[in-house]
Amino acid sequence: MTMPEPSLPLDGIRVVDLSRVFAMPYCGAYLADLGAEVIKVDTHHNQFVDTTRTLNGPYPDNDPGELYWERGGTFQTLNHGKISVTLDLRSDDALEVLRELVSISDVVLENFTPRVMRRFGLDYPNLKAVRPDLIMVSNTGYGHSGPWTNFGAMATALEPTHGTGAFMGYLDADADGRTSPGTVPNKIANSYTDFLASWTAQLAVLVSLIHRAKTGRGMWIDLAMYQVGASFLGEGILDYAFNGRRARRLGNRHESMSPHGCYPCQGNDQWAVIAVRDDSDWRAFCDVIGTPELAADPRFADPVTRYGNQDALDEIISGWTSSRTKYEVMTILQNAGVPAGPVLDGRDMLGDPHFRDRGYFEPVEHHPKTGLGRREYLTRGWRMSGNDVRIRKAAPMLGEDNEYVLSNLLGLAATHIADLESTEAIGQTLAGARIPASVPLDRQVELGWTVDYDADYPSRPPVSS
Amino acid sequence: MAGVPFGLPLDGVRVLELGGYVSAPYCARLLADYGADVIKIEPPGAGDEARRMGPFAGDDPHPEKSIPFLYLNTNKRGITLDVATVSGAGLLDRLLQSTDVLVENYPPDARPSCLDPEALGERYPHLIVTSITPFGQTGPYRDFAATDIVTTAISGLMYHSGDSDQEPLRNALNQSFYVAGINATVATSAALFQRMFTGRGQAVDVCTVECLASHLVQALPYYNYMGAIKGRRPVRGSGFEELMPARDGYVIPSVQGSQPWSTVAELIGVPELQDDRFASGSGRIEFGEEIHDLLLQGLAQWDRKALHQASGERRLVFGMAQDAGDLHECPHLHEREFFRTVSHPVAGDADYPGMGPRLSGPDSLPIEYQVRRHAPLLGQHNSEIYGDELGCASAELAQLRALGAI
Repeated sequence: MTMPEPSLPLDGIRVVDLSRVFAMPYCGAYLADLGAEVIKVDTHHNQFVDTTRTLNGPYPDNDPGELYWERGGTFQTLNHGKISVTLDLRSDDALEVLRELVSISDVVLENFTPRVMRRFGLDYPNLKAVRPDLIMVSNTGYGHSGPWTNFGAMATALEPTHGTGAFMGYLDADADGRTSPGTVPNKIANSYTDFLASWTAQLAVLVSLIHRAKTGRGMWIDLAMYQVGASFLGEGILDYAFNGRRARRLGNRHESMSPHGCYPCQGNDQWAVIAVRDDSDWRAFCDVIGTPELAADPRFADPVTRYGNQDALDEIISGWTSSRTKYEVMTILQNAGVPAGPVLDGRDMLGDPHFRDRGYFEPVEHHPKTGLGRREYLTRGWRMSGNDVRIRKAAPMLGEDNEYVLSNLLGLAATHIADLESTEAIGQTLAGARIPASVPLDRQVELGWTVDYDADYPSRPPVSS
Repeated sequence: MAGVPFGLPLDGVRVLELGGYVSAPYCARLLADYGADVIKIEPPGAGDEARRMGPFAGDDPHPEKSIPFLYLNTNKRGITLDVATVSGAGLLDRLLQSTDVLVENYPPDARPSCLDPEALGERYPHLIVTSITPFGQTGPYRDFAATDIVTTAISGLMYHSGDSDQEPLRNALNQSFYVAGINATVATSAALFQRMFTGRGQAVDVCTVECLASHLVQALPYYNYMGAIKGRRPVRGSGFEELMPARDGYVIPSVQGSQPWSTVAELIGVPELQDDRFASGSGRIEFGEEIHDLLLQGLAQWDRKALHQASGERRLVFGMAQDAGDLHECPHLHEREFFRTVSHPVAGDADYPGMGPRLSGPDSLPIEYQVRRHAPLLGQHNSEIYGDELGCASAELAQLRALGAI
């Protein structure tokens, strides 16, 4: 007798994912990992397709290929585990099909502007009429109320708007190289706010499922990325409320730990960070880098004097780090109990022994048509002892599951499906496709988009320097 | 609860938090914001290490005035308990009888034996044990020491933050531990939902560096799709999508969204930008330096907030650098009722930032975010919880106090 497949937390939950780009698609992928059936509502019309299918890449060997909309690495990462149905929402017939799909689903994810959802009749008041206990996330830049409600937003420009730049930036330096707290904001970048929105949406959906299981009631989640971003910087905003402090930009330094910074190591653009938390760390640090006399130097006697003299200290530390690899710096200092670590880039991460040992990257087998083969993807920051949470399939090809969704789930007649096809409301080939030009990697290095590349990367074993 | 006729989503869920500083306290605070009854356990005497972390209200270093502590611990009750003592472990055992979730962030090599997730799971099969650490409960770095800059570096995010001609830059305000905290809440909520059907709890292992690494949906495929290493913000280029100086601060001009180039150029207000050479992405790469100079000229005529407003009205997506004061006074956030006035007996009154999303039920009844309690004073609810709820006699409490257990 075979054991039944252990059930996952979201087994039996169906999610309609109308969303685009980063934040909500990624939320959908995590819900799929947890066991939900996540249906990505795609379109095969180029001007309305999720732009991560067409604009983001990166493509295998920097070659978009004819089926480029199935081949983007970022799209694949954000949409793993889902199935796809295409529905052109300009068609009344397709809109009606979508409403039927919502009526047999538990959760809707969307990130259109308030105006667009109302125009399509897909706003929460309309959708709860077809599914009264619906849980729906409406993710927008600024939310469905307030003076900025109709403003669009992308995470890149939204991030400093919700305040990160007040709390990060390089130090200023005078003509003699003496440093002082920075006046120029900087960014976390990497679409930071999108991910905060994604985690926030996952949590809101899960607690809403709990609420629905207890009360039978649905939920509408008005998720404003601007407001979510501000909530992650709450302690800084509260500092203003109490003390009137508007900004703190300390580069890589820290108010109470010194030395604290990012130091150059052997190689091109290689760095390690070091955080000396207290005097005991400081003594261990001085010993292990072979300069016990520093521990007795009055300029560096306690955290306050060390902070005041960190310019001088940084020079000494850089001298020690720059003849070592970043991994050596970590090993030597961690063995002495001092917090330190290498600044990992994408290549390092894929080869790092810790990520590998924990099974952080999961392999995915792709459809032969995509030419993607088998590749590894980053996953999630948690494990559940009672569940085998993992990526269960590759991101779907455009309309790959039209037959399953339209015929099996919704029971549409074959003639109806043929009508949808002939009126171009559904389709599996991107209409209006134009293979994007790829920028050669040498040119990318010139432009500063890429630091370096390994032409022989597929044959290289994972590296851990 | 008043104003919430169907209750909050996590009403009736009892959480014990044995957390320090940011990650576990933030996880437990989010659970509390969604309605859970959270009891925060602090070591007697010193309390949560966040109590010693600044900044402080009035810049007065006092254990009840730490701003991170005040922010991270609203909506909780607080008790003191030394779980490493025999009598402390005994009290913890009694508390766990009625607990649904235990959230902790001890370093794996310093976690008291009474908190071993496997042993807890055997004794309390219904219990969810959520452990948050820098590196997780397994792997070669498990016992490494870490602060926020270390987790951010190893996560990969730091390499991609800052400018390409300078060193990688640490992120704002302990973000790695906030991201770990909310990820822990996600996994914990999934376990709570599942428990409604199975009756069983489980252990959740949350790894801070992995939580943050999950943000790298571009940099990672850059390497395993084409062998390329993505770097930090290029310092050359047109300046679009980057922080650029305006008259009174910094803004981010953007060509994203669905409006044509002419709308962008018209807003910036330099006639020379109305040029077909600049209308495409490849043109903006080719003529980046030329655009950069024109952009500087145009933006120098704008104040941040006026430009942001004008961009929004044209359906463009420009951003601006706002500081803590801008945010605290932001009319948009106020209209969305983001702030709550909280009175604290030691730190005083202040308007606290609230919750990211706004929830409402099918009849439009809001599931309103409320601050039901200020952050607990050290041991504030000892009598209430040990005496009234666990039924300890006052003699027993006095003895525990004398033993240093509470």
